[in-house]
Amino acid sequence: MRLLYAELLKVRTAPRTSLGLVLGLLLLAGFGSATTAYDADSTPFGREVALGDVISVVSIAPVFTLILGILVVTWEYRHGTITQTFLATPRRERVIGAKDALSFVYGGVLAVAALVLTLIVASFWISLDLERGHWELAGRLVFAAAAWGVLGAGLGALLQSQVGAIVTSFVWFLVAEPLLSATIDSLTDARITDYFPGNALERLQDTAGAVEVGPEGVVTGPDYAFGLWPAALLVVGYAALFAVLGLVSALKRDVP
Amino acid sequence: MIEVDHLTKRYGKTVAVDDLSFNVTPGRITGFLGPNGAGKTTTLKAILGLVHPTSGTTRVLGNAYRDLDDPLRRVGAVLETSRYHPGRSGRNHLRVVAAQAGIQQGRVEEVLELVAMKQPGRRRVRGYSMGMRQRLGLATALLGDPELLVLDEPANGLDPAGIRWLRDLLRSLARRERTILISSHVLAEVEQIADEVVIIHRGRFVAQSTTRELAQRAAGAVRVRSPDLNRLRELLTANGMRVAEAEDGVLSVGEATAERVGELAAANGIVLHELMTERATLEEAFLELTAGETTE
Repeated sequence: MRLLYAELLKVRTAPRTSLGLVLGLLLLAGFGSATTAYDADSTPFGREVALGDVISVVSIAPVFTLILGILVVTWEYRHGTITQTFLATPRRERVIGAKDALSFVYGGVLAVAALVLTLIVASFWISLDLERGHWELAGRLVFAAAAWGVLGAGLGALLQSQVGAIVTSFVWFLVAEPLLSATIDSLTDARITDYFPGNALERLQDTAGAVEVGPEGVVTGPDYAFGLWPAALLVVGYAALFAVLGLVSALKRDVP
Repeated sequence: MIEVDHLTKRYGKTVAVDDLSFNVTPGRITGFLGPNGAGKTTTLKAILGLVHPTSGTTRVLGNAYRDLDDPLRRVGAVLETSRYHPGRSGRNHLRVVAAQAGIQQGRVEEVLELVAMKQPGRRRVRGYSMGMRQRLGLATALLGDPELLVLDEPANGLDPAGIRWLRDLLRSLARRERTILISSHVLAEVEQIADEVVIIHRGRFVAQSTTRELAQRAAGAVRVRSPDLNRLRELLTANGMRVAEAEDGVLSVGEATAERVGELAAANGIVLHELMTERATLEEAFLELTAGETTE
Protein backbone atom coordinates (compact mmCIF):
# COMPACT_ATOMS: atom_id res chain seq x y z
CA MET A 1 0.00 0.00 0.00
CA ARG A 2 2.86 2.31 0.96
CA LEU A 3 4.52 1.66 -2.40
CA LEU A 4 1.30 2.19 -4.30
CA TYR A 5 0.87 5.54 -2.53
CA ALA A 6 4.47 6.45 -3.38
CA GLU A 7 3.86 5.56 -7.03
CA LEU A 8 0.75 7.72 -7.05
CA LEU A 9 2.73 10.56 -5.50
CA LYS A 10 5.30 10.21 -8.28
CA VAL A 11 2.60 10.69 -10.89
CA ARG A 12 1.03 13.57 -8.98
CA THR A 13 4.26 15.48 -8.43
CA ALA A 14 5.33 15.29 -12.08
CA PRO A 15 1.97 15.39 -13.79
CA ARG A 16 2.75 16.97 -17.11
CA THR A 17 3.18 13.94 -19.33
CA SER A 18 0.29 11.94 -17.97
CA LEU A 19 -1.94 15.01 -17.99
CA GLY A 20 -1.46 15.26 -21.74
CA LEU A 21 -2.56 11.65 -22.13
CA VAL A 22 -5.59 12.08 -19.91
CA LEU A 23 -6.72 15.25 -21.69
CA GLY A 24 -6.07 13.66 -25.07
CA LEU A 25 -8.25 10.68 -24.26
CA LEU A 26 -11.05 12.77 -22.78
CA LEU A 27 -11.01 15.13 -25.75
CA LEU A 28 -11.21 12.27 -28.22
CA ALA A 29 -13.90 10.53 -26.18
CA GLY A 30 -16.03 13.66 -25.99
CA PHE A 31 -15.63 14.39 -29.66
CA GLY A 32 -16.27 10.78 -30.68
CA SER A 33 -19.35 10.65 -28.51
CA ALA A 34 -20.74 13.88 -29.96
CA THR A 35 -20.36 12.83 -33.57
CA THR A 36 -21.77 9.34 -32.91
CA ALA A 37 -24.79 10.57 -30.97
CA TYR A 38 -25.46 13.37 -33.45
CA ASP A 39 -25.63 10.81 -36.24
CA ALA A 40 -27.91 8.52 -34.25
CA ASP A 41 -31.00 9.02 -36.40
CA SER A 42 -29.22 8.05 -39.57
CA THR A 43 -28.23 4.57 -38.38
CA PRO A 44 -30.57 1.81 -39.54
CA PHE A 45 -31.36 0.53 -36.07
CA GLY A 46 -31.75 3.91 -34.44
CA ARG A 47 -31.11 4.80 -30.85
CA GLU A 48 -30.44 1.26 -29.63
CA VAL A 49 -27.37 0.85 -31.78
CA ALA A 50 -26.31 4.45 -31.28
CA LEU A 51 -25.98 4.08 -27.50
CA GLY A 52 -23.80 0.99 -27.94
CA ASP A 53 -21.70 2.89 -30.45
CA VAL A 54 -21.39 5.84 -28.10
CA ILE A 55 -20.16 3.59 -25.32
CA SER A 56 -17.73 1.85 -27.61
CA VAL A 57 -16.01 5.17 -28.28
CA VAL A 58 -14.19 4.25 -25.05
CA SER A 59 -12.50 1.41 -26.95
CA ILE A 60 -9.76 3.92 -27.83
CA ALA A 61 -8.83 4.03 -24.14
CA PRO A 62 -6.39 1.07 -24.17
CA VAL A 63 -4.07 2.98 -26.52
CA PHE A 64 -3.77 5.68 -23.88
CA THR A 65 -3.58 3.41 -20.86
CA LEU A 66 -0.91 1.35 -22.63
CA ILE A 67 1.27 4.45 -23.03
CA LEU A 68 0.49 5.47 -19.47
CA GLY A 69 1.66 2.08 -18.21
CA ILE A 70 4.82 2.37 -20.29
CA LEU A 71 5.49 5.84 -18.86
CA VAL A 72 4.90 4.83 -15.24
CA VAL A 73 7.88 2.48 -15.54
CA THR A 74 10.13 4.03 -18.16
CA TRP A 75 10.23 7.61 -16.92
CA GLU A 76 12.07 6.29 -13.88
CA TYR A 77 14.70 4.78 -16.14
CA ARG A 78 14.77 7.80 -18.39
CA HIS A 79 15.34 10.27 -15.57
CA GLY A 80 17.50 7.90 -13.56
CA THR A 81 15.19 8.00 -10.54
CA ILE A 82 14.96 4.20 -10.68
CA THR A 83 18.27 4.13 -8.76
CA GLN A 84 16.74 5.98 -5.81
CA THR A 85 13.61 3.86 -6.06
CA PHE A 86 15.55 0.60 -5.82
CA LEU A 87 17.70 2.02 -3.00
CA ALA A 88 14.54 2.71 -1.00
CA THR A 89 12.96 -0.62 -1.96
CA PRO A 90 15.68 -3.10 -2.94
CA ARG A 91 13.09 -5.82 -3.36
CA ARG A 92 12.44 -4.84 -6.93
CA GLU A 93 9.46 -7.16 -7.36
CA ARG A 94 7.55 -4.94 -4.91
CA VAL A 95 8.33 -1.85 -6.95
CA ILE A 96 7.31 -3.44 -10.22
CA GLY A 97 4.22 -4.95 -8.59
CA ALA A 98 3.18 -1.52 -7.33
CA LYS A 99 3.69 -0.04 -10.79
CA ASP A 100 1.61 -2.81 -12.39
CA ALA A 101 -1.13 -2.23 -9.82
CA LEU A 102 -1.04 1.53 -10.33
CA SER A 103 -1.24 1.09 -14.12
CA PHE A 104 -4.24 -1.22 -13.72
CA VAL A 105 -6.11 1.15 -11.41
CA TYR A 106 -5.11 4.27 -13.31
CA GLY A 107 -6.11 2.64 -16.61
CA GLY A 108 -9.49 1.62 -15.22
CA VAL A 109 -10.17 5.03 -13.68
CA LEU A 110 -9.20 6.76 -16.89
CA ALA A 111 -11.56 4.56 -18.91
CA VAL A 112 -14.40 5.20 -16.45
CA ALA A 113 -13.76 8.94 -16.74
CA ALA A 114 -13.86 8.69 -20.52
CA LEU A 115 -17.05 6.62 -20.30
CA VAL A 116 -18.79 9.14 -18.05
CA LEU A 117 -17.79 11.94 -20.37
CA THR A 118 -19.06 10.14 -23.49
CA LEU A 119 -22.41 9.50 -21.81
CA ILE A 120 -22.76 13.11 -20.65
CA VAL A 121 -21.93 14.41 -24.12
CA ALA A 122 -24.25 11.89 -25.80
CA SER A 123 -27.14 12.85 -23.53
CA PHE A 124 -27.48 16.11 -25.43
CA TRP A 125 -28.75 14.17 -28.45
CA ILE A 126 -30.08 10.82 -27.27
CA SER A 127 -31.69 9.59 -24.06
CA LEU A 128 -29.59 7.25 -21.96
CA ASP A 129 -31.68 4.12 -21.48
CA LEU A 130 -28.84 1.91 -20.36
CA GLU A 131 -29.66 -1.75 -20.55
CA ARG A 132 -27.82 -4.76 -19.26
CA GLY A 133 -25.95 -5.19 -22.54
CA HIS A 134 -24.69 -1.63 -22.37
CA TRP A 135 -23.37 -2.06 -18.85
CA GLU A 136 -21.63 -5.25 -19.88
CA LEU A 137 -20.03 -3.55 -22.84
CA ALA A 138 -18.90 -0.67 -20.61
CA GLY A 139 -17.46 -3.13 -18.12
CA ARG A 140 -15.54 -4.95 -20.85
CA LEU A 141 -14.12 -1.69 -22.19
CA VAL A 142 -13.00 -0.48 -18.76
CA PHE A 143 -11.47 -3.87 -18.00
CA ALA A 144 -9.64 -3.90 -21.35
CA ALA A 145 -8.21 -0.45 -20.66
CA ALA A 146 -7.01 -1.48 -17.18
CA ALA A 147 -5.44 -4.69 -18.52
CA TRP A 148 -3.63 -2.78 -21.27
CA GLY A 149 -2.22 -0.48 -18.59
CA VAL A 150 -0.55 -3.52 -17.03
CA LEU A 151 0.64 -4.67 -20.46
CA GLY A 152 2.27 -1.24 -20.90
CA ALA A 153 3.94 -1.36 -17.49
CA GLY A 154 5.27 -4.84 -18.27
CA LEU A 155 6.55 -3.82 -21.68
CA GLY A 156 8.15 -0.74 -20.14
CA ALA A 157 9.93 -2.81 -17.48
CA LEU A 158 11.03 -5.29 -20.15
CA LEU A 159 12.53 -2.73 -22.53
CA GLN A 160 13.29 0.08 -20.02
CA SER A 161 13.51 2.52 -22.92
CA GLN A 162 10.58 4.91 -23.17
CA VAL A 163 10.85 5.53 -26.88
CA GLY A 164 11.66 1.88 -27.51
CA ALA A 165 8.58 0.62 -25.67
CA ILE A 166 6.19 3.11 -27.26
CA VAL A 167 7.54 2.51 -30.77
CA THR A 168 7.51 -1.26 -30.29
CA SER A 169 3.91 -1.30 -29.17
CA PHE A 170 2.76 0.99 -31.97
CA VAL A 171 4.63 -0.93 -34.63
CA TRP A 172 3.14 -4.18 -33.36
CA PHE A 173 -0.47 -3.03 -33.02
CA LEU A 174 -0.65 -0.74 -36.04
CA VAL A 175 1.63 -2.46 -38.54
CA ALA A 176 3.00 -5.88 -37.64
CA GLU A 177 -0.14 -7.50 -36.26
CA PRO A 178 -2.50 -6.38 -39.06
CA LEU A 179 0.05 -7.39 -41.72
CA LEU A 180 0.77 -10.75 -40.11
CA SER A 181 -2.95 -11.37 -39.64
CA ALA A 182 -3.72 -10.66 -43.27
CA THR A 183 -0.87 -12.85 -44.48
CA ILE A 184 -1.61 -15.78 -42.22
CA ASP A 185 -5.36 -15.57 -42.85
CA SER A 186 -4.79 -15.78 -46.58
CA LEU A 187 -2.69 -18.92 -46.16
CA THR A 188 -4.81 -20.93 -43.77
CA ASP A 189 -8.36 -21.27 -42.57
CA ALA A 190 -7.22 -21.96 -39.01
CA ARG A 191 -8.12 -19.00 -36.82
CA ILE A 192 -4.64 -18.48 -35.43
CA THR A 193 -4.59 -14.73 -35.80
CA ASP A 194 -7.65 -14.26 -33.62
CA TYR A 195 -5.40 -15.11 -30.71
CA PHE A 196 -3.03 -12.17 -31.37
CA PRO A 197 -3.19 -9.54 -28.63
CA GLY A 198 -4.70 -6.78 -30.76
CA ASN A 199 -7.36 -9.07 -32.20
CA ALA A 200 -8.17 -10.53 -28.80
CA LEU A 201 -8.60 -7.01 -27.46
CA GLU A 202 -10.83 -6.14 -30.38
CA ARG A 203 -12.93 -9.23 -29.71
CA LEU A 204 -13.32 -8.24 -26.06
CA GLN A 205 -14.37 -4.75 -27.07
CA ASP A 206 -16.90 -5.91 -29.68
CA THR A 207 -20.25 -4.13 -29.49
CA ALA A 208 -22.25 -7.13 -30.72
CA GLY A 209 -23.30 -8.27 -27.25
CA ALA A 210 -24.77 -4.89 -26.54
CA VAL A 211 -26.87 -4.48 -29.66
CA GLU A 212 -28.10 -8.00 -30.46
CA VAL A 213 -31.26 -7.29 -28.48
CA GLY A 214 -32.41 -4.64 -30.96
CA PRO A 215 -36.09 -5.10 -31.88
CA GLU A 216 -35.47 -4.81 -35.59
CA GLY A 217 -33.40 -7.98 -35.60
CA VAL A 218 -30.05 -9.35 -34.66
CA VAL A 219 -27.04 -7.37 -35.71
CA THR A 220 -24.41 -9.71 -36.99
CA GLY A 221 -20.99 -8.39 -36.18
CA PRO A 222 -17.76 -9.86 -37.45
CA ASP A 223 -17.36 -13.57 -36.97
CA TYR A 224 -14.93 -14.58 -34.17
CA ALA A 225 -13.29 -17.86 -33.29
CA PHE A 226 -14.25 -17.61 -29.61
CA GLY A 227 -16.57 -15.89 -27.18
CA LEU A 228 -16.11 -13.01 -24.77
CA TRP A 229 -14.81 -14.98 -21.80
CA PRO A 230 -11.95 -16.57 -23.72
CA ALA A 231 -11.19 -13.14 -25.15
CA ALA A 232 -11.06 -11.67 -21.63
CA LEU A 233 -8.80 -14.51 -20.55
CA LEU A 234 -6.51 -13.90 -23.52
CA VAL A 235 -6.29 -10.18 -22.74
CA VAL A 236 -5.48 -10.93 -19.11
CA GLY A 237 -3.01 -13.56 -20.26
CA TYR A 238 -1.11 -11.11 -22.47
CA ALA A 239 -1.04 -8.51 -19.69
CA ALA A 240 0.18 -11.12 -17.20
CA LEU A 241 2.78 -12.46 -19.63
CA PHE A 242 4.34 -9.04 -20.10
CA ALA A 243 4.08 -8.26 -16.39
CA VAL A 244 6.14 -11.40 -15.72
CA LEU A 245 8.65 -10.66 -18.50
CA GLY A 246 9.03 -7.11 -17.19
CA LEU A 247 9.53 -8.35 -13.64
CA VAL A 248 12.21 -10.83 -14.70
CA SER A 249 13.98 -8.12 -16.67
CA ALA A 250 13.89 -5.69 -13.74
CA LEU A 251 15.23 -8.33 -11.35
CA LYS A 252 18.02 -9.57 -13.61
CA ARG A 253 19.43 -6.38 -15.04
CA ASP A 254 21.82 -4.01 -13.32
CA VAL A 255 20.66 -0.50 -12.63
CA PRO A 256 22.42 1.89 -14.99
CA MET B 1 29.75 -2.47 8.68
CA ILE B 2 30.47 -3.06 5.01
CA GLU B 3 32.08 -6.29 3.91
CA VAL B 4 33.20 -6.79 0.35
CA ASP B 5 34.28 -10.36 -0.20
CA HIS B 6 36.04 -11.43 -3.40
CA LEU B 7 33.79 -9.18 -5.48
CA THR B 8 34.15 -9.57 -9.23
CA LYS B 9 32.04 -7.78 -11.83
CA ARG B 10 32.44 -8.27 -15.55
CA TYR B 11 30.65 -6.36 -18.29
CA GLY B 12 31.13 -8.56 -21.30
CA LYS B 13 34.89 -8.89 -21.59
CA THR B 14 35.64 -5.83 -19.49
CA VAL B 15 36.47 -6.58 -15.88
CA ALA B 16 35.24 -3.63 -13.85
CA VAL B 17 35.99 -5.11 -10.43
CA ASP B 18 38.45 -7.95 -9.99
CA ASP B 19 38.39 -10.12 -6.86
CA LEU B 20 38.10 -7.14 -4.53
CA SER B 21 37.92 -7.61 -0.76
CA PHE B 22 37.86 -5.01 2.00
CA ASN B 23 35.96 -4.08 5.15
CA VAL B 24 34.72 -0.76 6.41
CA THR B 25 34.95 -0.36 10.18
CA PRO B 26 32.09 1.25 12.12
CA GLY B 27 32.26 4.78 13.46
CA ARG B 28 34.94 5.97 11.05
CA ILE B 29 35.18 7.85 7.81
CA THR B 30 36.72 5.68 5.14
CA GLY B 31 37.93 7.15 1.89
CA PHE B 32 37.51 4.95 -1.18
CA LEU B 33 40.15 6.05 -3.62
CA GLY B 34 41.08 5.25 -7.16
CA PRO B 35 41.49 7.00 -10.49
CA ASN B 36 38.50 7.40 -12.79
CA GLY B 37 37.44 4.04 -14.15
CA ALA B 38 39.01 2.11 -11.27
CA GLY B 39 35.69 0.45 -10.44
CA LYS B 40 34.66 2.59 -7.46
CA THR B 41 31.11 3.27 -8.61
CA THR B 42 30.56 -0.34 -9.66
CA THR B 43 31.74 -1.52 -6.25
CA LEU B 44 29.45 0.93 -4.44
CA LYS B 45 26.52 -0.12 -6.63
CA ALA B 46 27.20 -3.76 -5.84
CA ILE B 47 27.25 -2.92 -2.12
CA LEU B 48 23.90 -1.16 -2.55
CA GLY B 49 22.31 -4.05 -4.45
CA LEU B 50 22.00 -2.15 -7.72
CA VAL B 51 24.54 -4.25 -9.60
CA HIS B 52 24.62 -8.03 -9.50
CA PRO B 53 28.15 -9.33 -8.86
CA THR B 54 29.56 -11.80 -11.37
CA SER B 55 30.98 -13.55 -8.32
CA GLY B 56 31.67 -12.76 -4.70
CA THR B 57 29.42 -11.12 -2.14
CA THR B 58 28.85 -7.81 -0.45
CA ARG B 59 27.25 -7.26 2.94
CA VAL B 60 25.94 -4.14 4.60
CA LEU B 61 25.28 -4.15 8.36
CA GLY B 62 25.54 -7.93 8.28
CA ASN B 63 23.07 -8.53 5.44
CA ALA B 64 22.81 -8.33 1.71
CA TYR B 65 21.36 -4.87 0.98
CA ARG B 66 18.31 -6.53 -0.53
CA ASP B 67 17.53 -8.18 2.80
CA LEU B 68 17.58 -4.98 4.88
CA ASP B 69 14.19 -3.92 6.20
CA ASP B 70 13.63 -0.23 5.50
CA PRO B 71 17.15 0.25 4.11
CA LEU B 72 16.93 4.05 3.95
CA ARG B 73 16.67 4.18 7.75
CA ARG B 74 19.97 2.36 8.01
CA VAL B 75 21.95 3.27 4.90
CA GLY B 76 21.99 6.60 3.08
CA ALA B 77 23.61 6.84 -0.34
CA VAL B 78 24.53 9.51 -2.84
CA LEU B 79 25.61 8.06 -6.15
CA GLU B 80 27.57 9.88 -8.81
CA THR B 81 24.62 9.37 -11.10
CA SER B 82 22.07 10.80 -8.66
CA ARG B 83 19.40 12.10 -10.94
CA TYR B 84 15.98 13.57 -10.46
CA HIS B 85 12.83 14.05 -12.43
CA PRO B 86 13.42 17.54 -13.86
CA GLY B 87 9.79 18.60 -13.45
CA ARG B 88 9.62 17.70 -9.79
CA SER B 89 10.64 20.14 -7.06
CA GLY B 90 13.40 19.19 -4.66
CA ARG B 91 10.87 19.03 -1.84
CA ASN B 92 8.57 16.76 -3.82
CA HIS B 93 11.49 14.51 -4.69
CA LEU B 94 12.13 14.09 -0.97
CA ARG B 95 8.43 13.57 -0.28
CA VAL B 96 8.32 10.73 -2.83
CA VAL B 97 11.38 9.02 -1.34
CA ALA B 98 10.06 9.50 2.20
CA ALA B 99 6.69 8.02 1.22
CA GLN B 100 8.37 5.03 -0.34
CA ALA B 101 10.68 4.44 2.61
CA GLY B 102 7.94 4.96 5.19
CA ILE B 103 9.67 8.03 6.66
CA GLN B 104 7.58 10.80 8.20
CA GLN B 105 6.97 13.73 5.87
CA GLY B 106 8.08 16.17 8.59
CA ARG B 107 11.61 14.88 8.12
CA VAL B 108 11.64 16.41 4.61
CA GLU B 109 11.74 19.96 6.02
CA GLU B 110 14.43 18.96 8.50
CA VAL B 111 16.84 17.63 5.89
CA LEU B 112 16.17 20.58 3.56
CA GLU B 113 17.17 22.82 6.46
CA LEU B 114 20.22 20.65 7.14
CA VAL B 115 21.61 21.06 3.62
CA ALA B 116 20.57 24.73 3.40
CA MET B 117 18.07 24.07 0.60
CA LYS B 118 14.92 25.45 2.23
CA GLN B 119 14.36 28.06 -0.46
CA PRO B 120 15.40 26.19 -3.64
CA GLY B 121 13.47 23.15 -2.40
CA ARG B 122 10.29 24.68 -3.76
CA ARG B 123 11.63 25.04 -7.28
CA ARG B 124 11.77 22.40 -9.97
CA VAL B 125 15.01 20.43 -10.12
CA ARG B 126 15.38 21.45 -13.79
CA GLY B 127 16.84 24.79 -12.73
CA TYR B 128 19.26 23.44 -10.11
CA SER B 129 23.00 23.92 -10.28
CA MET B 130 25.31 20.93 -9.91
CA GLY B 131 26.00 21.96 -6.32
CA MET B 132 22.29 22.12 -5.50
CA ARG B 133 21.80 18.66 -6.96
CA GLN B 134 24.59 17.34 -4.74
CA ARG B 135 22.98 18.97 -1.71
CA LEU B 136 19.63 17.46 -2.61
CA GLY B 137 21.35 14.08 -2.96
CA LEU B 138 22.80 14.45 0.52
CA ALA B 139 19.42 15.49 1.86
CA THR B 140 17.95 12.33 0.34
CA ALA B 141 20.66 10.20 1.92
CA LEU B 142 20.08 11.81 5.34
CA LEU B 143 16.29 11.43 5.17
CA GLY B 144 16.25 8.25 7.23
CA ASP B 145 18.96 9.46 9.67
CA PRO B 146 20.99 6.37 8.76
CA GLU B 147 23.92 4.95 10.68
CA LEU B 148 25.88 4.36 7.47
CA LEU B 149 26.46 6.78 4.60
CA VAL B 150 27.80 5.75 1.19
CA LEU B 151 28.83 8.76 -0.86
CA ASP B 152 30.13 8.52 -4.42
CA GLU B 153 32.20 11.58 -5.31
CA PRO B 154 30.01 13.95 -3.29
CA ALA B 155 32.37 16.87 -3.79
CA ASN B 156 31.93 16.82 -7.57
CA GLY B 157 30.37 20.03 -8.74
CA LEU B 158 30.69 21.79 -5.40
CA ASP B 159 32.45 25.13 -5.26
CA PRO B 160 35.18 25.66 -2.62
CA ALA B 161 32.63 26.98 -0.11
CA GLY B 162 30.45 23.95 -0.82
CA ILE B 163 33.37 21.59 -0.29
CA ARG B 164 34.09 23.19 3.08
CA TRP B 165 30.40 22.92 3.97
CA LEU B 166 30.42 19.24 2.97
CA ARG B 167 33.51 18.58 5.05
CA ASP B 168 31.96 20.22 8.11
CA LEU B 169 28.75 18.27 7.63
CA LEU B 170 30.60 14.96 7.35
CA ARG B 171 32.71 15.77 10.40
CA SER B 172 29.63 16.54 12.47
CA LEU B 173 28.08 13.26 11.31
CA ALA B 174 31.24 11.37 12.23
CA ARG B 175 31.13 12.91 15.70
CA ARG B 176 27.67 11.40 16.04
CA GLU B 177 29.14 7.93 15.49
CA ARG B 178 28.04 7.62 11.90
CA THR B 179 30.05 5.43 9.55
CA ILE B 180 30.87 7.02 6.22
CA LEU B 181 32.32 5.54 3.07
CA ILE B 182 33.25 8.29 0.65
CA SER B 183 34.72 7.71 -2.78
CA SER B 184 36.94 10.12 -4.63
CA HIS B 185 39.62 10.25 -7.29
CA VAL B 186 41.30 13.18 -5.55
CA LEU B 187 43.35 12.28 -2.49
CA ALA B 188 43.36 15.86 -1.23
CA GLU B 189 39.58 15.80 -1.04
CA VAL B 190 39.34 13.01 1.50
CA GLU B 191 42.65 13.04 3.32
CA GLN B 192 41.58 15.85 5.64
CA ILE B 193 38.48 14.05 6.87
CA ALA B 194 39.04 10.33 6.31
CA ASP B 195 40.44 8.20 9.11
CA GLU B 196 41.21 5.38 6.76
CA VAL B 197 41.55 4.84 3.03
CA VAL B 198 40.95 1.93 0.69
CA ILE B 199 42.70 2.25 -2.65
CA ILE B 200 41.77 0.36 -5.77
CA HIS B 201 43.18 0.48 -9.27
CA ARG B 202 41.80 -1.19 -12.38
CA GLY B 203 39.23 -2.97 -10.24
CA ARG B 204 41.82 -4.51 -7.97
CA PHE B 205 42.71 -3.94 -4.36
CA VAL B 206 45.87 -1.88 -3.91
CA ALA B 207 46.05 -0.85 -0.29
CA GLN B 208 44.12 -0.18 2.86
CA SER B 209 45.72 1.95 5.52
CA THR B 210 45.13 4.86 7.82
CA THR B 211 45.22 8.24 6.15
CA ARG B 212 48.34 9.17 8.11
CA GLU B 213 50.28 6.20 6.77
CA LEU B 214 49.20 7.00 3.26
CA ALA B 215 50.20 10.63 3.60
CA GLN B 216 53.69 9.51 4.65
CA ARG B 217 53.94 7.16 1.72
CA ALA B 218 52.76 9.82 -0.65
CA ALA B 219 55.26 12.36 0.64
CA GLY B 220 57.55 13.45 -2.12
CA ALA B 221 60.59 15.65 -2.20
CA VAL B 222 61.30 18.41 0.31
CA ARG B 223 61.30 21.87 -1.16
CA VAL B 224 63.67 24.28 0.49
CA ARG B 225 64.52 27.92 -0.27
CA SER B 226 67.54 29.61 1.20
CA PRO B 227 69.76 32.62 0.52
CA ASP B 228 72.73 30.40 1.32
CA LEU B 229 72.03 27.80 -1.31
CA ASN B 230 75.51 26.44 -1.98
CA ARG B 231 76.35 25.75 1.64
CA LEU B 232 72.98 24.10 2.14
CA ARG B 233 73.47 21.91 -0.90
CA GLU B 234 76.83 20.67 0.34
CA LEU B 235 75.47 20.03 3.81
CA LEU B 236 72.51 17.99 2.59
CA THR B 237 74.53 16.00 0.07
CA ALA B 238 77.06 15.20 2.81
CA ASN B 239 74.17 13.76 4.82
CA GLY B 240 73.21 11.35 2.03
CA MET B 241 70.32 13.29 0.53
CA ARG B 242 69.60 13.64 -3.16
CA VAL B 243 69.65 17.32 -4.06
CA ALA B 244 68.58 19.02 -7.24
CA GLU B 245 68.01 22.67 -8.04
CA ALA B 246 64.29 23.03 -8.77
CA GLU B 247 64.32 26.68 -9.76
CA ASP B 248 66.38 29.75 -8.97
CA GLY B 249 67.10 29.75 -5.24
CA VAL B 250 65.09 26.59 -4.54
CA LEU B 251 66.34 23.06 -3.90
CA SER B 252 64.34 19.91 -4.28
CA VAL B 253 65.64 17.33 -1.82
CA GLY B 254 64.97 13.63 -2.19
CA GLU B 255 65.24 10.88 0.43
CA ALA B 256 64.65 13.46 3.11
CA THR B 257 62.03 14.72 5.52
CA ALA B 258 61.29 18.36 6.18
CA GLU B 259 62.15 17.78 9.84
CA ARG B 260 65.61 16.45 9.04
CA VAL B 261 66.40 19.26 6.58
CA GLY B 262 65.23 21.89 9.07
CA GLU B 263 67.27 20.40 11.90
CA LEU B 264 70.44 20.22 9.82
CA ALA B 265 70.03 23.80 8.65
CA ALA B 266 69.46 25.07 12.19
CA ALA B 267 72.43 23.15 13.58
CA ASN B 268 74.63 24.75 10.94
CA GLY B 269 73.18 28.24 11.19
CA ILE B 270 71.75 28.34 7.66
CA VAL B 271 68.79 30.66 7.12
CA LEU B 272 65.77 29.07 5.43
CA HIS B 273 63.08 31.15 3.72
CA GLU B 274 60.85 28.25 2.86
CA LEU B 275 60.60 24.62 3.87
CA MET B 276 57.82 22.29 2.80
CA THR B 277 57.10 18.73 1.85
CA GLU B 278 55.91 18.50 -1.71
CA ARG B 279 52.88 16.30 -1.82
CA ALA B 280 52.82 13.65 -4.43
CA THR B 281 49.55 13.44 -6.31
CA LEU B 282 47.39 10.39 -5.90
CA GLU B 283 48.60 9.22 -9.29
CA GLU B 284 52.15 9.21 -8.01
CA ALA B 285 51.13 7.40 -4.85
CA PHE B 286 49.48 4.83 -7.07
CA LEU B 287 52.53 4.39 -9.19
CA GLU B 288 54.51 3.79 -6.07
CA LEU B 289 51.94 1.45 -4.57
CA THR B 290 51.42 -0.55 -7.73
CA ALA B 291 55.10 -0.71 -8.64
CA GLY B 292 55.68 -3.92 -6.68
CA GLU B 293 52.76 -5.51 -8.43
CA THR B 294 53.96 -4.87 -11.97
CA THR B 295 57.55 -6.00 -11.43
CA GLU B 296 56.48 -9.06 -9.39
